[in-house]
Amino acid sequence: MRRPLTFAITILMILLFTMAAYAGVPTDTVQANVNKVLDVLRDPKLKGESAKEIKKKKLRVIYEQMFNDVELGKRTLARNWNSLSVAQRQEFVILFRQVLEKAYIDRILAYTNEKIVYERETMISGNLAEVQTKVIMASKEIPITYKVILKDGSWKVYDVNVENVSLVLNYRTQFSDILAKNKPEQLLEILRKKVKGQ
Amino acid sequence: MKSYLFGVTLLCVVLAAGCAHKPAVVSDPASSAAAPPAQQVMAAPKAEPSPPPSPEVSVKAVSGNLDDYQDIEDPDKGKEVEKVTIADPLEPFNRAMFQFNDKLYFWFLKPVAQGYSKVVPEPARVGVSNFYTNLSFPIRFVNSLLQANFAGAASELGRFIINTVWGIGGLLDPAASKEIDLKKQRADFGQTLGVYGVGQGFYIHWPLLGPSSPRDTVGIVGDIFLYPSIYLGPWEVWAGARVYERFNDTSLRIGDYESLKEAAIDPYVAVRDAYVQYRLNMIKHKGGPPPPGVKGLLENN
Repeated sequence: MRRPLTFAITILMILLFTMAAYAGVPTDTVQANVNKVLDVLRDPKLKGESAKEIKKKKLRVIYEQMFNDVELGKRTLARNWNSLSVAQRQEFVILFRQVLEKAYIDRILAYTNEKIVYERETMISGNLAEVQTKVIMASKEIPITYKVILKDGSWKVYDVNVENVSLVLNYRTQFSDILAKNKPEQLLEILRKKVKGQ
Repeated sequence: MKSYLFGVTLLCVVLAAGCAHKPAVVSDPASSAAAPPAQQVMAAPKAEPSPPPSPEVSVKAVSGNLDDYQDIEDPDKGKEVEKVTIADPLEPFNRAMFQFNDKLYFWFLKPVAQGYSKVVPEPARVGVSNFYTNLSFPIRFVNSLLQANFAGAASELGRFIINTVWGIGGLLDPAASKEIDLKKQRADFGQTLGVYGVGQGFYIHWPLLGPSSPRDTVGIVGDIFLYPSIYLGPWEVWAGARVYERFNDTSLRIGDYESLKEAAIDPYVAVRDAYVQYRLNMIKHKGGPPPPGVKGLLENN
């Protein structure tokens, strides 16, 4: 009778330890990705205008590891998601990512060694968590919260809150305003134009 | 000429009034505050024109698995926060005022603030900003008390004493240093009214002031009476001081509004939504974020 007991205890121990380690995984994942971004931004070999495109390319790769675009797009459209065809949904996710890249890439590239503090992690449910961080600058501190979801074994960002303003909610209001008066195709057309820079 | 004079007077009065309230986040062309959502995802804000996106952006045809693109079964899923919207019966007026503030920012506020920032170095401008913040201590102190946020009120009182005495009358902010670590509270009368259950009502986009609601407009007026300089001299002095404060604040935030506008699909709706989200959060989390754990429990249901 000793064998099964040892076995059970071992299993229990493994479970307990993995669970304990689990608590910090969302933060670790976010931090690891943010650090990768910082490594690219701080890379002394990538200075000047000529290296900008290389940096952008590297950041795009990190973005794909860090964010879940589909989840982000889905939550941004919320109930309107279902009124798009699957093809439209696919195009929307890609366009929305490009809109975000265009809007924020220069801000990210302008990073100048501000300190980032990882403050707190809150589990919202089994597969959702919030990682609260702070960017400390000379004249102010900016609270940034990453909302992450566990998908296929890794934690991916699906929303970012800056100063308590949610990116997903902010775009959701804009998109639902547009979709209240227009067809999905027109929303896509607006996004296409935005990406082209009109 | 008469209308010009009227305009200038109005400008002074409203500019002056506006600063008493000072939402630190919600961006608007004419109201000074700005921090558009996710604008600094992990970077410092710096005004830089956005170049057109590089062509290779759209190489990837589909992101993720096809399975991920199925219908959402429960349309309310993913709506972990309660509905954050505001009625906007005045939308045509509000949109016109938004345009007005936008032009005011690009044609007037921004150029003046840029010129000013060339003459006055940044540390001095941060000092001026600290000075005004210190001066508006009664607003944060009294409203923290009214909201029964006694820790916040005590922290504000401590900040005021420390910064006035050791911070050269408030030009420096030693209270925020790591050793003392007294953080500025965000408390105003509109928030106090919200804490007591007064609803936001509908959206108003004031000329010069920017995003507001009937509740927060009452809040702005209420807070004017807690701003000491209103008791110190003729109103022109007060108004002049507030206008200067506005330019000084703008000079420290150039680029924020531009990037919000650039990121938005509909900048008017983006500003309105950011304002509503920001104000609701301020009321929900008066006196800072809830202790760890509690928030997760509340949002689980």
